Amino acid sequence: MNGFDLNRAYSVARKEVMHILRDPFTLVLALGLPVMLVTFFGYAIDFEVRDIKLAVSDLDQGPAARRLKEIFTSSGYFIPVEAGSGTVGMLDSGKADAALFIEHGFSRTVMGGGPVTAQFIMDGSDNSKAAAVSGYLAGIQRSAAFKLGGAATPEGLAVETRFLYNAELNSQWFTIPGLAAIIIGLLAILLTALTVAREWENGSMELLLSTPVRPIEIIVGKLAPYALLVLGGVFFVYLSSRFVFGVPFAGSRPLFLAFCLLYVVSALSQGLFISVATRQQQVAMQFAIIIGLLPSLLLSGFIFPVESMPPFFNYFTMILPPRWFMEAVRGIFLKGAGLRELALPFLALLALSAALLALALKKFKTDMEP
Amino acid sequence: MNITLRAFIKKELAQTLRDVRMRVLLFGAPVIQLTIFGLALSTEIKNIKLAFFYAPDDVMARRLEGDFYSSGWFKPVDFTAGEDPLELIVSGRADAAIIAPDEGLARSSERGEGRVQLLVDASNATKARTVETYVKTIISAGWAGKGGGAANPPPVKLDVRVLYNPAMESSLFLVPGVIGMVVCLITIILTAMSLAREREMGTFETIVSAPLSDAEILLGKTIPFVLLGLAVTALTLLAAYFFFGVPVRGPLWQLALGSLVFIITTVSVGTLISTIAKNQQQAMLGGFIFLFPAILMSGIMYPVENMPTTVIAAAYLNPLMCFMRILRSVLLKGGEAYVFWTNMGALALMAMAAGGLAYNRFKQTLD
Repeated sequence: MNGFDLNRAYSVARKEVMHILRDPFTLVLALGLPVMLVTFFGYAIDFEVRDIKLAVSDLDQGPAARRLKEIFTSSGYFIPVEAGSGTVGMLDSGKADAALFIEHGFSRTVMGGGPVTAQFIMDGSDNSKAAAVSGYLAGIQRSAAFKLGGAATPEGLAVETRFLYNAELNSQWFTIPGLAAIIIGLLAILLTALTVAREWENGSMELLLSTPVRPIEIIVGKLAPYALLVLGGVFFVYLSSRFVFGVPFAGSRPLFLAFCLLYVVSALSQGLFISVATRQQQVAMQFAIIIGLLPSLLLSGFIFPVESMPPFFNYFTMILPPRWFMEAVRGIFLKGAGLRELALPFLALLALSAALLALALKKFKTDMEP
Repeated sequence: MNITLRAFIKKELAQTLRDVRMRVLLFGAPVIQLTIFGLALSTEIKNIKLAFFYAPDDVMARRLEGDFYSSGWFKPVDFTAGEDPLELIVSGRADAAIIAPDEGLARSSERGEGRVQLLVDASNATKARTVETYVKTIISAGWAGKGGGAANPPPVKLDVRVLYNPAMESSLFLVPGVIGMVVCLITIILTAMSLAREREMGTFETIVSAPLSDAEILLGKTIPFVLLGLAVTALTLLAAYFFFGVPVRGPLWQLALGSLVFIITTVSVGTLISTIAKNQQQAMLGGFIFLFPAILMSGIMYPVENMPTTVIAAAYLNPLMCFMRILRSVLLKGGEAYVFWTNMGALALMAMAAGGLAYNRFKQTLD
């Protein structure tokens, strides 16, 4: 009884590679996904909300009202739209995102030095916009008080901000490296879940098992090509972040690679576990979406910060590998964090990968070995 | 309805729902996703770790510090006064640090040089931008209130009102989004994979050789998924209404009609993908190639209007965006006729185009 023969595993891997290459469409799709994600997050998605459609109902028509409108439009966030008769109706139909109402006598009161109020109504059905708008309003109110009301200074206290690691607040610096986690989570889990489940479904697993190749060799052989494919995707993310989007890479490359390998192992183990447990591609797929795709996309801190979640979910994300991987990727790229700073993510990811691998192998053995 | 077709649909439904795990996943997964979106995720940034450095005798700064921690956005960090603020951020113990001048805030502002320094960890650019806005808002409000600035109220005030979602709850905004996303995901992937499966297993030939017309085969294979899609929509809407308090302010028929036409479109897209894919793996990947742009360009997470003009133009070809707009309008805004009919018209055109294309491709693969 010999343990593990690398040659036999290699043969299985060659067979799998031939499977993939015989039908290059799979390869095109698997490589197309990372390219598409990088393009989208690089060029299409902008987190800074601009061009908010503002309908102005100006009943005053005086100089101060005009100045107030100017303050809004010159902030760069708002674009004026023609306000018809029903200004609130424009919010209902989505023709405007916000409306500003200036009453009769606005300019006269401002000139007289009295306190004056303008009403601002916004569409709260799109939170991502509304939250940004309320952030801008504070600044606009300050500058209106200064320019119209003649307040002593715009601010009694100036705030001098220094943004560390990303001085120009470039969104791509933050999203593009994070895509490594999405791509591993998506491709490694989904592809392995399907590839092993397919052998079951077609009945070719029994055939493979009846050959002298040992189960563990089958697994290593079947998963290795996908591991390479996934790492290729990560390499693409690395290259495009560095050379297309100019994201600095302050940390150590071997450490980054080590994190990637650990995370890939955890993802492949999850995929393997799913495919052994379900043995059917459609079910495997649904499972993989729930435990693979969604956590890496939503609960990893990729878009929605983990710290903002309620305590239960904050702790819950600790058992998810993508959370730790995301923390490591951002730390290594932008902050130049080393193993000392990333000790916790490293140990957590190591423990999770080991546990998932052990679980997958155990499931595989009990189902497989004679 | 003709009896052959009815039997065919029954068989397809039975086949898909035969597996207990499939039933659980099909109806359990949407509920899990709703829960994650509704409870865990929030567009609001909270729990920012803030370290406030000031001289021990600076009363003004101490009051300001209280404003920060009582705002609910910031939480305090343990540190000693001698520590380097930069080091606190580099080591990840703080997300932001405010450094008040040594001579005290009151004195420095009397001399007209009142300024505080703010250091922010910008490795998350969005968060950093929000932190800066929060800090400025709290400082200017606190400063005016604590006698630092003029005592009289600000001369010009904006009276702000938020319509449709006055408390700005993230769940009211995210839950309608996730309903659209889940329905889109399930119908496309399920349709595409189920047809690809028949091809992979070779059972497709059996169906083709049966005495059925092309249209009957196509309808028999797709109507079950339209029905499943509608069931999932109804389930998620009920969950949204009862568990997350999402209101239904518009007429129900708009909701029903919009969902039906949207699901016909996505099932057609799924069918189209399955005619191109040779096996289930390809069907799945093809599905994601469609789904990712559709989800990202739908306005579920990011406003579409923010994107470059060419992308916005492409977004109008996205059925999910139209469905999203109908959903949010009906649920939150009361279903204004203009929004409904423009998006409905676009959806109907897309349904016809995708359906026609799918039928054509499907006929070719049959021959």
